[in-house]
Amino acid sequence: MGNLAAITRRSFLIGSVAITGGMLIGCQSKGFSLLQRKSKDKTHLTPYIRIDQTGITIITPRADMGQGAYSVQAALVAEELDVELDDDSIQVDHGPPKPEYFNGKVLSELLPFASTDNSKWAVRLRNFTEGFSERIGLFMTGGSSTVADAHYKLRLTGAVARQLLIMAAAERSKVHKNKLKTENGHVLLPDGTKYSYVELAPEAADIKLSEEIKIDDLKLKSNCRVLGKPMQRVDMVDKCTGKQKYGIDINKDGMLYAAVRTNPRLGGKIISYDAKFAESIVGKDKVIPISGGVGVIADNTWQAFELVDSIDIKWEDASYPETSYQMWEEFENSFTPWRKKNRLKNEGNVKTALEQGDVVEANYRVPYLAHAPLEPMNATVLLEDGRLDIWVGTQIPLFVKSVAAKLTGLSEDNIHVYVEVMGGSFGRRLEDDFVCQAIELAKARPGDLIKMTWSREEDMTHDFPRTMQLAKARGVVNNGKVEAMDLKIAALSTTASQFSRTTISLPGLRMPISIPEAIIANALRKDVALVSGAWDQPFSIPNYRVTGYKVPSMVPVSSWRSVGASGNGFFHDCFLDELIHAAGADPLEERIRLCSHSVSSKVLEKVGEMSNWGSALPAGSGRGVAYTLSFGVPVAEVVEVTNTAKGIKIDKAYVVADVGKVLDPVNIENQMMGGVIWGLGHAMNAELTYKDGKAEQTNFHAYECMRMYQTPEIEICALENADEIRGIGEPTVPPAAPALANAIFAATGQRIRELPLNKHIKFI
Amino acid sequence: MADYVEINVNGVRHRLDIRHKRTPLLWILRDELKLTGTKYGCGIAQCGACTVHINGLSRRSCVTEVGELTEDDKVITIEAADSTIAKAVKESWVQHQVAQCGYCQSGQIMSATALLSKNKNPTDDDIDRVMSGNLCRCGTYPLIRKAIKTAAKSLTEANNG
Amino acid sequence: MKVIEKKLVFLVCFFMFVIEGFAEKCELYDEIPAQGSISEKQGHEYWAKIYEVFSHPRCTNCHVGADNIPMWSGPSYGVTRPHGMNVSAPVIGAHGTRGGSDSFECSSCHTTTNNTIAHGAPGVYNEDMDGEKVSWVLPPVDFEWFGKTSKEVCEQVKDSKRNGGKENAKEIADHLCHDKFIAWSWKPGAGRESAPYSLKENIADVLAWGAAGMPCPEY
Repeated sequence: MGNLAAITRRSFLIGSVAITGGMLIGCQSKGFSLLQRKSKDKTHLTPYIRIDQTGITIITPRADMGQGAYSVQAALVAEELDVELDDDSIQVDHGPPKPEYFNGKVLSELLPFASTDNSKWAVRLRNFTEGFSERIGLFMTGGSSTVADAHYKLRLTGAVARQLLIMAAAERSKVHKNKLKTENGHVLLPDGTKYSYVELAPEAADIKLSEEIKIDDLKLKSNCRVLGKPMQRVDMVDKCTGKQKYGIDINKDGMLYAAVRTNPRLGGKIISYDAKFAESIVGKDKVIPISGGVGVIADNTWQAFELVDSIDIKWEDASYPETSYQMWEEFENSFTPWRKKNRLKNEGNVKTALEQGDVVEANYRVPYLAHAPLEPMNATVLLEDGRLDIWVGTQIPLFVKSVAAKLTGLSEDNIHVYVEVMGGSFGRRLEDDFVCQAIELAKARPGDLIKMTWSREEDMTHDFPRTMQLAKARGVVNNGKVEAMDLKIAALSTTASQFSRTTISLPGLRMPISIPEAIIANALRKDVALVSGAWDQPFSIPNYRVTGYKVPSMVPVSSWRSVGASGNGFFHDCFLDELIHAAGADPLEERIRLCSHSVSSKVLEKVGEMSNWGSALPAGSGRGVAYTLSFGVPVAEVVEVTNTAKGIKIDKAYVVADVGKVLDPVNIENQMMGGVIWGLGHAMNAELTYKDGKAEQTNFHAYECMRMYQTPEIEICALENADEIRGIGEPTVPPAAPALANAIFAATGQRIRELPLNKHIKFI
Repeated sequence: MADYVEINVNGVRHRLDIRHKRTPLLWILRDELKLTGTKYGCGIAQCGACTVHINGLSRRSCVTEVGELTEDDKVITIEAADSTIAKAVKESWVQHQVAQCGYCQSGQIMSATALLSKNKNPTDDDIDRVMSGNLCRCGTYPLIRKAIKTAAKSLTEANNG
Repeated sequence: MKVIEKKLVFLVCFFMFVIEGFAEKCELYDEIPAQGSISEKQGHEYWAKIYEVFSHPRCTNCHVGADNIPMWSGPSYGVTRPHGMNVSAPVIGAHGTRGGSDSFECSSCHTTTNNTIAHGAPGVYNEDMDGEKVSWVLPPVDFEWFGKTSKEVCEQVKDSKRNGGKENAKEIADHLCHDKFIAWSWKPGAGRESAPYSLKENIADVLAWGAAGMPCPEY
């Protein structure tokens, strides 16, 4: 590694530049349009590559929340385009949110087909959703879909651009294109002459591809320079030197700073307020009523926090039950035929099996959880002369645009959204509530550039949490084997809650307009997220049933890293562990025996091998295994704990996942590790509880999760046996909690069926 | 009594209006001096994202009112943390590719630098004691641990060689 | 201002400082009850009140034992629990106080002002901010109160070897009067329950307990 000065030279522009008009040539390749645009000094070879005099910019439309999305997208293009990402002339830019950058894969997770299901209908419907996503321009980052969606798309885009540049060089040199090579941003002629991409670009933009570039034309794995090899993330130097700018760091001349306070009873209105003090400091016109609350515009963020806090506000009561206790009662009462939403797994005859055997029975539950990314919600806005500019860290910039149009009455052409780097999200920035507040402030203060920042307290008490989930489980074992498993799960509908807040019409919400959409709508109505991570597990238990019940909406809920699987994985795997123990079988061997998916079996076998499963542990220690398939990725984890005098200590975690293809072995390790720590930390000590309609946990003192001293050593392995490439941002989360609970059972004999575990046992 | 507060940040003296006396240093750094490398995470010294050095010691700038400081108190932020130790820490961070979202890392780096300036060869326990005040939501702790050890090793080697 | 006046002002200030420094007059009590003027039975009652204060989380959370780990308690913590973040304070400073660990001192978070936000790290409140700076520390390990019985705390408090060399109730009262940390217990900041009674009453109770001969309970 070079010294810091050398690394820092590689500066990457991460901001947003609007694509200006110009020539436009469309060409079709594998279902998405590749645009060529030429303007005075910029050339776009495909919407992902912009070339101007300063060099080449790769557009990476999936947002970076920390998962390394910018880097991996850039690498996919760079591989096929033959450019080096550490070259000074290569820039990586999120680019403008436009429908052509749609995400074709994110919706497929909501379909009622297990990811292991490759039947005709499953494949057909996945294709429908991809086409649908393109039609509505579903611009969204989430669902661990970036890599799955971008893998071929961005590689093709790089390959197409490379081909155009080669053809331009061939035309110029009159050398046949087959004799030309490319290297490091140049086309090479046989005689050693080099043409840079930058000089060729304007000519390349006038060329029409003679033949379609197909997946088969992409580089073979053995020829890849970048993919599959350890990469240096493009944002790493800036993030390790304090230089990275996040949304919250925006500073512009004349900018004003704002804070808001809204009703902590989510969705509740404001009845009245007395802001005499704040008004006496900043003036009456800088204390601004907004939906459900008040905002204050001040000279700095701290002053805004203090002043908004000084306002005496009367709030409307909550529209939902006031306490977690009352909400749990509603959950308990939800296992009724009229709240039954789906039964996506129903194999053998569970009813008979339960009647005939000794039934093992258990109830499980998990609490509401906050996303609490370390960078609190914020947005910077300027409304001036019929134009609105929004700088914001968001996973849904086009939704933001559309809601902004609705709030301001401007046309979407006059609204400009710049997607900023995010200090974490974990699903939180799939919501636009905070952007709407900033827009309301902008509307009251046209001409003022305003940065609105939430205090941590505002952030914690206005999250759309992960839903509470409740499971009633029954099972039968016989002859040392698991014979029957019946899981009933009640939860709030994340899908319904989230879609009810979007402004873009999605199937299931409005009248479908085509047959594929009708099919998708019908699929979405099944509300798969209620049971995902439980119904879709590839086990062949002779009598096996999973039923989802929808609790009537109360606290508005949202996607939280791994969504439904985050709690359902805990239910499914822990109860399976209980049954295996009841059967007297070995937890790992029995899971492998039951597993009907060979890729998953290999994942389980590998984690057994890594953890030296079956070897002796010191007295007071225990080992637990867990497995969850989510987002198409099978993950097995083994956790080792020791029961010390001061509480449970998590000693080690072993994690194996199969993502089909590893693009960056460094980043995948970081993502897998992060997911495990996320899962373990929340399982240990995190919950959001409600009292008087308000979240009781207002800051990290009451929502700690994992800290350095509690973090185990983590060993990681990513396998590549699966056919399809998948994303890894979420899948290591669900098996972490059950692996920990199963390990605690092995070490102490105590079976804990409720998260967070520290309600029942102490951790060091 | 003076009608201003004077502070010394990254070797530069700044005179602030007296009305800022009770404002936390964090917000003076971020909003007045535009030094945004120091982050806001919690405002109550729970997360460590706002860690700076004051006279060489770790300090949570979100709970340090500027009125507490005198012009003799030397504040160093991530932007100017360029001592031999700080540089070694930053390089090690890049080498291990520690950051994910990166939002907590300024604070982590400042805490790690303070640790290594007091303790040339920290054990796991030492690291746990000093670094557990810095929260990371992405879960980069194992890499932070590795990076601190690498930085310690490279500093020792530089001293010996 | 004439030179002579300046000198005068200086002299007056100097004189006041000397008096203040030498006498350490406590504003919080006027007279000390005469020795024996209070019965032993009453003395026990006074101690019970004192123990109520000394065993309050605002006091015991820092008066912890040899593991050097302070405690947290409060409305949103449920039961009292060890301070988060794996903090410990093994480094011994002036008078045996414990100020944190090597590069992560108590004062990294506990500053010289008291945080106004609920659950913010408290600091030693110093109203004018121009008085002497006090760094947040744990008391010496000998002063361990956390989890101790009334009898144990009582015996420790009157033992000059384990109370910082205080020979009588007046010296204890003066300490209570002057120590900024102790005063903090009644001004603990947002969301925190203050120690019972008042500092003034606590000092009066200590003096009365002293006049009764510092009786300690059986348990």
